Amino acid sequence: MSSPTRSAPDAGVVPDAGAPSAVSIVDLTKSFGGLKAVSEVTIQVPTRRIHGILGPNGAGKTTVLNMVSGFIQPDKGSISVFGDEVTGLSPHQIARHGVARTYQNIRLFAGMTVLETVAAGAYLKRSSTIPGAIFFSPSERRERREVRDRATDLLRQVGVRAEPDALAETLSYGDQRRVEIARALATEPRVLLLDEPTAGMNDAESHEIGELLLELRGSGLTLILIEHNMRLVEEFCESVSVMNSGAMLAQGAPSWCLEQDDVKEAYFGKRSDAARIATLRRARRGPGGS
Amino acid sequence: MSTTAWITTLQFAGVNALFALSIYATLWTGVLSLAPIFFGAVGAFTFGYLAGTVGLSPFLGLVLGVVLGAALGALTAALVIRLDSHYLAMATIAMVLIGRVLVVNLTELTGGAAGTLVPGELGTWLWLIGCLVVAGYVLARLAKSRFGMAADAVREDAAVAQTLGISPRRIQLVGFVISGAFGGAAGVMQASFLQYIGPDTFYTHLGFVTLAAVVLGGAFHWAGPIVGAIVFTILPELLKDVMGEYDRVVTGVLLVVIIIFVPRGLVDLRRVRLLRARSRQDPPRAGDDSARPTAPQEVTA
Ligand SMILES: Nc1ncnc2c1ncn2[C@@H]1O[C@H](COP(=O)(O)OP(=O)(O)OP(=O)(O)O)[C@@H](O)[C@H]1O
Ligand SMILES: [Mg+2]
Repeated sequence: MSSPTRSAPDAGVVPDAGAPSAVSIVDLTKSFGGLKAVSEVTIQVPTRRIHGILGPNGAGKTTVLNMVSGFIQPDKGSISVFGDEVTGLSPHQIARHGVARTYQNIRLFAGMTVLETVAAGAYLKRSSTIPGAIFFSPSERRERREVRDRATDLLRQVGVRAEPDALAETLSYGDQRRVEIARALATEPRVLLLDEPTAGMNDAESHEIGELLLELRGSGLTLILIEHNMRLVEEFCESVSVMNSGAMLAQGAPSWCLEQDDVKEAYFGKRSDAARIATLRRARRGPGGS
Repeated sequence: MSTTAWITTLQFAGVNALFALSIYATLWTGVLSLAPIFFGAVGAFTFGYLAGTVGLSPFLGLVLGVVLGAALGALTAALVIRLDSHYLAMATIAMVLIGRVLVVNLTELTGGAAGTLVPGELGTWLWLIGCLVVAGYVLARLAKSRFGMAADAVREDAAVAQTLGISPRRIQLVGFVISGAFGGAAGVMQASFLQYIGPDTFYTHLGFVTLAAVVLGGAFHWAGPIVGAIVFTILPELLKDVMGEYDRVVTGVLLVVIIIFVPRGLVDLRRVRLLRARSRQDPPRAGDDSARPTAPQEVTA
């Protein structure tokens, strides 16, 4: 907790004394070779919060998410989910703690249809056995029906427009990102990590994602998203963490954070002015990247 | 080719298909393994030994082959699953090589270099087709099961599968057990048709022929290995009549052509789905971009 991050008062970033945070990241550090990708980052996200992680390219945002989901192991620091320490666990164990995620560079399963992709996400929710499947027991049949119905519901909820039997990899980027969200939701997570969910989407589509985030939070989820669309962040995120070069710059309410001089500087260099803030608000990135 | 020769060829195509399904079972979970040849050898020689010494009935021999194979599959998984993909493949090839050394040296049990005789009661169409139907049925039933969807996910992207709560090693262990059961059965069937087995019966040639069958037929659907084994066993025989010694060159070239032009093999749902997506996009859409696709929904493959 040694980082000199400034926090806005009443932003809820400082943990409550009572209930454990949904996600608690403390002093997280990761180097790649000589490069400090993430340096002593501390983030507390309370339950049922929509929390944004912001920062310019290469700030270390994805690396933080990768460590929370167990994709890569931190050099130092700890991560807990609803009070349970998950540092050092493998991704499938962390998934069992209720953490699901999407990817900045979309990662769907080749050859699967939209419906199959989402159904694959229901693995933890299924209980059928190999003999049950081979003998096609009544419970197996019921489970398959339930999985299909649930996947169909999720696809409708996230707003996928394509047919459920279309090959997932042939969809538009927007729909592919929505299918990824549906696949993550099929695990019935308590925490959903989204890495640039609106990349490649237009304003209307992005806004739909924002509405979806609100709906999901309403159903009890905690959401952490990396997002470059500042309008979306200001409208839907209740708190943000701004990173630059692996370090935490500021945490708190979005409007407060974006007014901080070093945040402006991180995004635009020394000369920050209102015109550039406007650019920032429109900032949008295409899909791809690390 | 004479009718009897044809029948023999088709029967070996069937046994190869069983081995190919065994290779498919692990490939399904993203693991390339030639261990089925070793499982087959253990099943076959155990069957031969017990039939010769205590008069084990052929049916019990087949059951024993399945059980022994499954147990060996689990053991193999426990030993090699930690290895990275190509080292894992190498380790299973090493098992095939070690298998031959064991056959040559455990003379008491295997007959050594001279080999051993095996009863041929199971070497009939009925048993062969029975085994294939059971194996095919098991794989078809598992295809959309909890295990099957997890196996697909692990093969396509193990890291993403993990974030869905799937443990790749657990899935791969199950794949090895199924592979072992099929491999053990295939070994007993192979021995029953040949009625004689020796150090070279379950060796690299069988491994490469059956692996080629999987590549040719397709490793992404359970029907692929069966189609591949039949085509890949019959084709050389057909070509032998016309090409003489050059049949192997032609099958080799065919394999390369398949790898280049249909890398996912002859049986490939993804190709069907891509073609369908293309035909669906062809009809012009209404002006509004956000409208649902207007093409009629087709029957699911
Ligand atoms: N697996 C890796 N191996 C080596 N370097 C890495 C790896 N992953 C990330 N990095 C480096 O760590 C730094 C932080 O990367 P990260 O992907 O976390 O940034 P980001 O904030 O998500 O950026 P962007 O907005 O471009 O997605 C970058 O310099 C990147 O090149
Ligand atoms: Mg990133």
